[in-house]
Amino acid sequence: MYGWHGKILRIDLTNLKTSVEEVDPQMARDYLGGRGWAIRYLYDEVDPLVDPLAPENKLIFATGPLTATTAPTGNRYMVVTKSPLTGAVAHSNSGGDFPTWMKRTGFDMFIFEGRAEKPVYLWVNEDQVEIRSAEHLWGKDVPATTDALLAETNPKSKVACIGPAGENLVLMAAIMNDKHRAAARSGVGAVMGSKNLKGVVAYGRKNPAFADDEAMRKLSLTIAKEVGADIKKGSSLREYGTAYVPQVTNTMGILPTRNFQSGVFEGADRIDGVALKEKYLIRPKPCYRCPIACGRLTAVDDEKYGGKGEGPEYETISSLGSACGVDNLAALTRANYWCNELGMDTISAGMTIAAAMEMYEKGYIPEEDIGQPLRFGDADAVIAMLRKMAYRDGFGDALAEGSYRLAEKYGHPEIAVTTRKQEFPGYDPRGSQGMGLLYATSNKGASHMEGDVAYEEVFGVPVKDDPLTTDGKAELVARFQNAFALIDSSGLCVFLAVRYVFSKDRMIWPTRLAQLMSHTTGVEYAPEEVLTAAERIYNLERLFLLKAGSTVDTLPPRMLNEPLPEGPAKGRVAELDKMLPEFYEVRGWDENGVPTREKLAELGL
Amino acid sequence: MRISVKLIATYRELLPPGAQGNRIEIDVPQGTTVSDVMTRFGVPLDERSVIVVNGATVPLSTVLAEGDVVSAFSAIAGG
Repeated sequence: MYGWHGKILRIDLTNLKTSVEEVDPQMARDYLGGRGWAIRYLYDEVDPLVDPLAPENKLIFATGPLTATTAPTGNRYMVVTKSPLTGAVAHSNSGGDFPTWMKRTGFDMFIFEGRAEKPVYLWVNEDQVEIRSAEHLWGKDVPATTDALLAETNPKSKVACIGPAGENLVLMAAIMNDKHRAAARSGVGAVMGSKNLKGVVAYGRKNPAFADDEAMRKLSLTIAKEVGADIKKGSSLREYGTAYVPQVTNTMGILPTRNFQSGVFEGADRIDGVALKEKYLIRPKPCYRCPIACGRLTAVDDEKYGGKGEGPEYETISSLGSACGVDNLAALTRANYWCNELGMDTISAGMTIAAAMEMYEKGYIPEEDIGQPLRFGDADAVIAMLRKMAYRDGFGDALAEGSYRLAEKYGHPEIAVTTRKQEFPGYDPRGSQGMGLLYATSNKGASHMEGDVAYEEVFGVPVKDDPLTTDGKAELVARFQNAFALIDSSGLCVFLAVRYVFSKDRMIWPTRLAQLMSHTTGVEYAPEEVLTAAERIYNLERLFLLKAGSTVDTLPPRMLNEPLPEGPAKGRVAELDKMLPEFYEVRGWDENGVPTREKLAELGL
Repeated sequence: MRISVKLIATYRELLPPGAQGNRIEIDVPQGTTVSDVMTRFGVPLDERSVIVVNGATVPLSTVLAEGDVVSAFSAIAGG
């Protein structure tokens, strides 16, 4: 095969055995790679009703046909499993270096199944595959684990691992790679922890072969030149990282503030990318072969909050910062480092603490349960809660279950701002209507990465769309969901993809992405075919969700009933009922959100 | 009348010296439109920019009122 290696490494953790499987070429073509291949395998091999933390669940690492290629940002991988947070499918994406190193082992996917009796790690050096004891690493944080694994294997290899949060089955535990990058959402780290799998080490030199070397090289260069020219003109992502975004969302009145009680945060200037650049930035830090370099290598020189690491990015600023009422950038950056070191999703961790703060202030959670006051704006309390959460220490045990279960436990589920029990990212849908439809219908629970229509509603990419209107959002959301399923299956990064390999009209069209995939794989992909494949992937994830028993597409009561109190979207709620029926129609689903027989037949499902 | 101009991220560089952070207050004559103000600061008026008034999406021909805040930033994917 070209582009793909066509090989899967299966790791039976119960019996400590590994095996190699060939991929069926038709499946490869129909499901593209990455997220697409992974959901096909998950759907076929895992009962959607299984306990996500039981040995019967499987954990899949998947690269795409463009991972480890010359395509700029072709360096992403997906972690796919059944989520312990949502009970639905999880597909969490990460960059860094690890994805390319993983693909260079000669395998496109790793499938972990069963449960090891004692902690282990996997060491893949091309065809030499070993499952080794990780008992000496259990309890160690992410940086210490990573350093130890590199020392024990090959210092030139790359590591993905869990920290204490994953070991303790925290429902927002992440899988960290290259120390600072995270396949963060939906508790994929807890699934890894449940399998007693501490880490995965990858090394290899098997770059995938291209079907058309010359065409691939040419198109990659063209794209890289376009990105380079734009960066030369001044790129907010290069200059400030995604940390420039709080200014934008605050201006539009959709920056989550004090657990979504407002969309305007008075401290936004103090926690944005400009402040970060002036105070703590060492340099922009790119993922492997990325010309954009949105990552931030930072250091805080402060007695109390000192440290060095990466971040914060926008989602972290909005969750651990404004959502918790925190405007102390040093503390917020340190909180970000803690999440990375302990291996936790900053979005769900921050939003869960925000919900706890609101419940504390309203008297729904007694102080004796928490062991201390927990008021909005108290950065030290945020840091204290993060550590308790990762170790399930005291009140941290309740926090580790996420905001929905926490709020339910204290009799106020309406405080939790979640869909399918997963915390919202940093765009309040009352002032970004398309995002509301996206969160409500997302197969994996609230996530911007499911089809980020904020690109149009907020950022004007590829074109600007009015965030306050519901008109046309049904089709826009469906298009973006399919586009993101496609990007996640390809191995590219969304930051590059939407702008440079899709056409610049509103209903984005993957002309160049199809070309890149054709040049790599040798399959003559037309844009229509890759989009149909993406729709197939999206519908299969929907089927997994329906079989898992989660069927209602809705938003939390605050979004539907409590108007935003201030800012440009003052007085607005999320008008889901205006968009949902049309969305189902666009999707070819019935009035309950179930794909029709005709739609499934059309997609070959 | 007095209005505010807020230029975010890389567009900050378009602000004249003396601006406070990313914001400046200026006096403009009655009848001034969004595009008049943006042109004055050298903000591109095409798809390269996102321009909002008081946080809301409006046509560039919109006539400004006392106290309005015109914000602009480079159209690029974010969070």
